[in-house]
Amino acid sequence: MKRYVFRRLALAVPTLLLVSVIVFALMRFMPGDVVIRMVEGHAYAPTVDALRQELGLDRPAYVQYLEWVGGIVLRGDFGNSYWTRQPIWDEFARRFPVTLELAVLTILVSVVIGIMVGVVSAVRQDSVSDYVCRVFAILALSVPYFGLAVLVVVLPAIYFKWTPLWTYVTFTTSPLQNLSIMIVPALVFGVTRAGPVMRIMRSALLEVLRQDYIRTAWSKGLPERVIVLRHALKNAMIPVISLIGLQMPLYIGGSVIIEAIFRLPGVGLFFFEALTRLDYPVVQSVNLIIAAMVVGLNLAIDLSYAFLDPRIRYGR
Amino acid sequence: MTRHLALAAASVLVLGLALAPDTLAQQPKRGGVLRIADREAPNLDPNLNISFLTQSWSNMIYSQLVRFPHGPEQKNHSDFSVVPDLAEKWEHKSPTVIEFTLRKGVKFHPKPPVNGREVTAEDAKYSIERFRARSAFRARFDVVQSIDAIDRYTLRVTLKEPFAPFLNHLAASTFVPILPREVEEKFKDFNRPEAMIGSGPFMVKSYQKGAQIVFERNPDYYVKGQPYLDAVIIEITPDAAARLSMLRAGKVDMGHMWGFLSAEEASSLKQTNPEMVITPAMTVASSVIYFRTDQPPFNDVRVRRAMSLAIDRKSWNDAILYGEGCIDVGPVPCALTDWKLPATQMDPGKAKYLVAYDPQEAKRLLAEAGFPNGFTVPMHHNPGYTTPWRTIYDLAADNLAKIGVNVDFKPEEYGKYISTTYLGKFEGMALGPQGNGFEIDDWLFSGFYPEQPHNRSHVADAELNKMLLAQRRELDPKKRQAIVHDIQRYLADKAYYVYLPTWPWHITHAPVVKGFKHHDGFSLGYRLMFTWLER
Repeated sequence: MKRYVFRRLALAVPTLLLVSVIVFALMRFMPGDVVIRMVEGHAYAPTVDALRQELGLDRPAYVQYLEWVGGIVLRGDFGNSYWTRQPIWDEFARRFPVTLELAVLTILVSVVIGIMVGVVSAVRQDSVSDYVCRVFAILALSVPYFGLAVLVVVLPAIYFKWTPLWTYVTFTTSPLQNLSIMIVPALVFGVTRAGPVMRIMRSALLEVLRQDYIRTAWSKGLPERVIVLRHALKNAMIPVISLIGLQMPLYIGGSVIIEAIFRLPGVGLFFFEALTRLDYPVVQSVNLIIAAMVVGLNLAIDLSYAFLDPRIRYGR
Repeated sequence: MTRHLALAAASVLVLGLALAPDTLAQQPKRGGVLRIADREAPNLDPNLNISFLTQSWSNMIYSQLVRFPHGPEQKNHSDFSVVPDLAEKWEHKSPTVIEFTLRKGVKFHPKPPVNGREVTAEDAKYSIERFRARSAFRARFDVVQSIDAIDRYTLRVTLKEPFAPFLNHLAASTFVPILPREVEEKFKDFNRPEAMIGSGPFMVKSYQKGAQIVFERNPDYYVKGQPYLDAVIIEITPDAAARLSMLRAGKVDMGHMWGFLSAEEASSLKQTNPEMVITPAMTVASSVIYFRTDQPPFNDVRVRRAMSLAIDRKSWNDAILYGEGCIDVGPVPCALTDWKLPATQMDPGKAKYLVAYDPQEAKRLLAEAGFPNGFTVPMHHNPGYTTPWRTIYDLAADNLAKIGVNVDFKPEEYGKYISTTYLGKFEGMALGPQGNGFEIDDWLFSGFYPEQPHNRSHVADAELNKMLLAQRRELDPKKRQAIVHDIQRYLADKAYYVYLPTWPWHITHAPVVKGFKHHDGFSLGYRLMFTWLER
């Protein structure tokens, strides 16, 4: 087990290095010039040259790359934003709890709804409840979360002169107020993410319910509730957990729009604004940090399989 | 007789009573918190970023030497006459030397490390020098030769040559806010809330990044009794639909710092919130087709004239601009009323190339220029601009197709568009908005003089250049205006740009907001200095 973890961690190094190269190169290939974007139409040559020099953009690309990666590895310094001129790590650390909370609440909403609907659908296969649940899943899959978010904000404002938008308050300042602000975006995002969870849950559970040990349980005369919830559900959870792991970058990516619409000062919005402003260091560093988190999370998910299914062993 | 007198007295009384509530309602009232939904400034240092958000937030905090009139002082929203701010008076000692006399007793905000000390000529000198060293707008003051603080209250600016736009640039809330040097010494720059220390109408009370910034009234502001508001809160809201929803729901009094809404947004808001105060205002901006006049086919004036005659401006205005647009755009935007020479006051034979629609004549000109079957031309543009820009691209293509000019659409993402096409780095033709600045020189010299970044059509015209230089060297406003009018007459039939109808923004706020008057530019603090609330 230890060896497995160590090997996975060692593998993470080249992965992240590759991510850093790709993301650095992609930013340089993006059309437009950050310096001219900063001075917009007022691009007088001496101003542009001075700003380019100030930001270190006059040096060769490989020097810029080495300095960026070197700063992270040697000093833990992710650099400064070109636009805000503030340290990226400080901004990231301040904003990350917002995005993390949104992701956790979204996962919670999608998992609770998805599992409940998925279980009902599987247990009552081909019944009216199954069809209703499947229609719900398709609906959740097809409604774009950003469209739903806009509707949730705009429609009550038009019809009731009310809108679910408040000034963000941190969890530590007022947990209740914080949750009341976060619940609507989490519901909007979570409901649309519940579709895939429900679909996977249903098929996984149907498969498990057909296995021999379940038949044995039935023959022992165990009640349905015990068979489904204690014996079948745990094993059927593995693909669902994998799905959540795979969807993690989606939660971060999706938070861009959700945070912008619901006025949440999270990482998604930080990243999006940096991308539109061609703020290279921010896009690179945030990408790298998130890549590191996804790698770590996937490892954690892989390790959780052993807990869920004792038949799984981590070999060499 | 007595009866007549009594009747007259009664009439006066009735009239007085009828007018009284209105008069009383117009009396500014102290107190209250104004809430605004808008985006977040990317940086707080006015010299480190030129974003309108940074500049507008800065204008809440910092004073200037001179400024434009605002609120009841302004004759219209593009009144760019210069009035005193920290400098109570100024005098041209010679065409190149201007001496400013500063007010005595004006104090910076009572915050460390400045602790409410008096603003002096040294601060003004430091601020202009910092602007010239750090700001991306610095080219505006290339003409400055030296700045001297003669004594505590006298500042002398010496220019390399007479430069008419100088005072106007100094009055714009985009260039030289007066900053205290000790703040930079302590914090390295002005890019943090605790470093935002000026002598302006408001002070930063708190700043929660990504959520809200609270500006509170400066109790020691040198204009006694102002500002009227206790505080201004900007609720940071990046999404436009969310901003409008907050305005509809009454969570904010303004859905934009300057109250800007598009015609579509304003009309939709009016349906749900008929109580909102909405005033259309034409801003200093224009919409243009620009092209490589240094390359074929646009180096032929007949082709350019044909392009202009192909545009059916009146139909555009009626169809997509609710009839509110300005058709006579020309090289001087409609809103710059002090400088604009309307097409109606020009030779009709020349003015038609600014405003007329004549596709038959356009086809004839194209044939004469050697394009009887027209041609195909790339049209660079940014599809990301807000409504009605996409419709405008289509309309332009449609109008041009009718004279045989086929448009090959070249959509560009904003970052690319602004870094290349907008600076004249493109082939063929481009279409988009222009917002060069608020001084007539920004539109004429910057728009037509060789090598200037706003000279998007690559104009190089020796005769025009002489006039462009002359207007910026003429210090007498009347004589300068005459040159500016001559330039407009000269440019009318050159068709270096094809001018398209330009539309107003709709300045919108809740009815409780009083005294708020739009003024073009980034002067949020000056606007809110005259604003009060009637809750």
